[in-house]
Amino acid sequence: MARLGMVIDLKRCVGCNSCTLSCKQENGTPAGMHYARVVTREVGTYPQTRRTFLPLLCNHCEDAPCEKACPTGATYIRADGIVMVAKEKCIGCRACAVSCPYMNRHFIEEGFLQQGYAAGELSPFEAMKFGAFEEGTMSKCTLCAHRVDEGLEPACVTTCPTDARIFGDWDDPDGKLQTLVRERNGWALLPECKTKPKVFYLDA
Amino acid sequence: MATHAEIAIAPHRFAYGFYRQTWWNWLIGTAFFCGGLGAGLFLVSLATGEPVGMIAGWLLVTVGKNTAHLFYLGRPERFWRAAMRPDRSWIARGIWATGFFAVAGFLCFAPHIFGPAWQLSGAAAAAVQGIAALSALFIMFYDGFVMNSSGAIPFWNSALLPLLVLLYASLGGTTLSLLLRAVTGGGQEHMAWLGLQEKWLLAGNALLLAAYLYRMSRWQPAARETVRLLLRGRFAWAFLGLVLAIGLGATLLLTFAAERFRSEALLPVIAACELTGDFTLLIVWLKSGLFSPQTAPHPLSASSKQESA
Repeated sequence: MARLGMVIDLKRCVGCNSCTLSCKQENGTPAGMHYARVVTREVGTYPQTRRTFLPLLCNHCEDAPCEKACPTGATYIRADGIVMVAKEKCIGCRACAVSCPYMNRHFIEEGFLQQGYAAGELSPFEAMKFGAFEEGTMSKCTLCAHRVDEGLEPACVTTCPTDARIFGDWDDPDGKLQTLVRERNGWALLPECKTKPKVFYLDA
Repeated sequence: MATHAEIAIAPHRFAYGFYRQTWWNWLIGTAFFCGGLGAGLFLVSLATGEPVGMIAGWLLVTVGKNTAHLFYLGRPERFWRAAMRPDRSWIARGIWATGFFAVAGFLCFAPHIFGPAWQLSGAAAAAVQGIAALSALFIMFYDGFVMNSSGAIPFWNSALLPLLVLLYASLGGTTLSLLLRAVTGGGQEHMAWLGLQEKWLLAGNALLLAAYLYRMSRWQPAARETVRLLLRGRFAWAFLGLVLAIGLGATLLLTFAAERFRSEALLPVIAACELTGDFTLLIVWLKSGLFSPQTAPHPLSASSKQESA
């Protein structure tokens, strides 16, 4: 069985946040909730300064702390390695959010789904997309499981204008992911947390 | 490479820095407080045969703690699902312990309310008291495991945390037991022993807090930043003022004064000081928790690996 994941090439990332927007469009997440985001950081000292960009999403960890912390079993790992939330089992205790070092869990507060981006009522798009969420429960990046199941790549990967995101299967020894990480010495976020993330980064 | 001193608390999730823990709020703190205090009071009262304390402790756990938890949950009607995975989750184990405590604890004091018809026979009574005592003990410390099992927040990730909440629960239970005895006039023969226990627990908690902060000041950057917030930052007034000065310092002084002048009138003030410190400790421990920065490689640094490692 596959172990789906991603490599993000920071040399290619220009911090355009297209991934952030395409994720919101694909998943229709409510205002203020971002499954994908780009952390911007200013580094160096004047005059040698620049901005760095770090695209973030759920790391779909093999040893997922959110899955361990969930008291109800609402968080589970699919056979292809995608970490999911069964919203009908979630009680909204937020133990998963507290245990995720990558802060990629999102709580849908009461009344959250009544607020669209525009003031007043929900747009037809929001009304349709918000049906996938449930107030009082947790939500998270699904690695666009609905697209993956149809043989497509996640929306953030498809949209990236610089091809900085590479999607694939970690179990394929000659695949893109393993090759890139091997050749360019890829690294994962917060290795001290020992979560075995399936999202790796390549140096800028 | 950025040093700890250069990393600030990020104002939002698109910025680099430490990230504040905002998920578990004062309702969780209240639940932890009621659970620890109630279980501690029940255990002290069970050991000294004081039914009023047992009832008050039982009510604090079954009503206070559980109500705060239910108010906090996003879907409280599904709370029973939280008991599904005791093999993996400390929250689930806590639910089971609270359930055992509710039943066994009730049976312990039932004869005092409903009459001798509820009195169990020797072996059964001992078994029920054993279950009640063990589950109360579990409720006193499991909050520490709930928090320290989160590797994402380095400040909580210490083996000392369950011990700290256990000692604070014992201290709160002892304090409240002393107050209840002064108010109801019952169980006076244990007052001197409980007073001594109070002083030892205050000293033990002070030492444990010092050890905890010392350990965390040498731990990961996020833990060191939390220590800074507690000692010199935005939570310093609460930690130094309410937890240390009032919760431990004033409580200890007043305990000595109450003993010296044989004044039970000071007991409500002692209880107010100690419980203020107890509650504030849980709240600042929750609110000052920080997530580590999501480390990006530094393009002007020779080795980005060092920073991510």
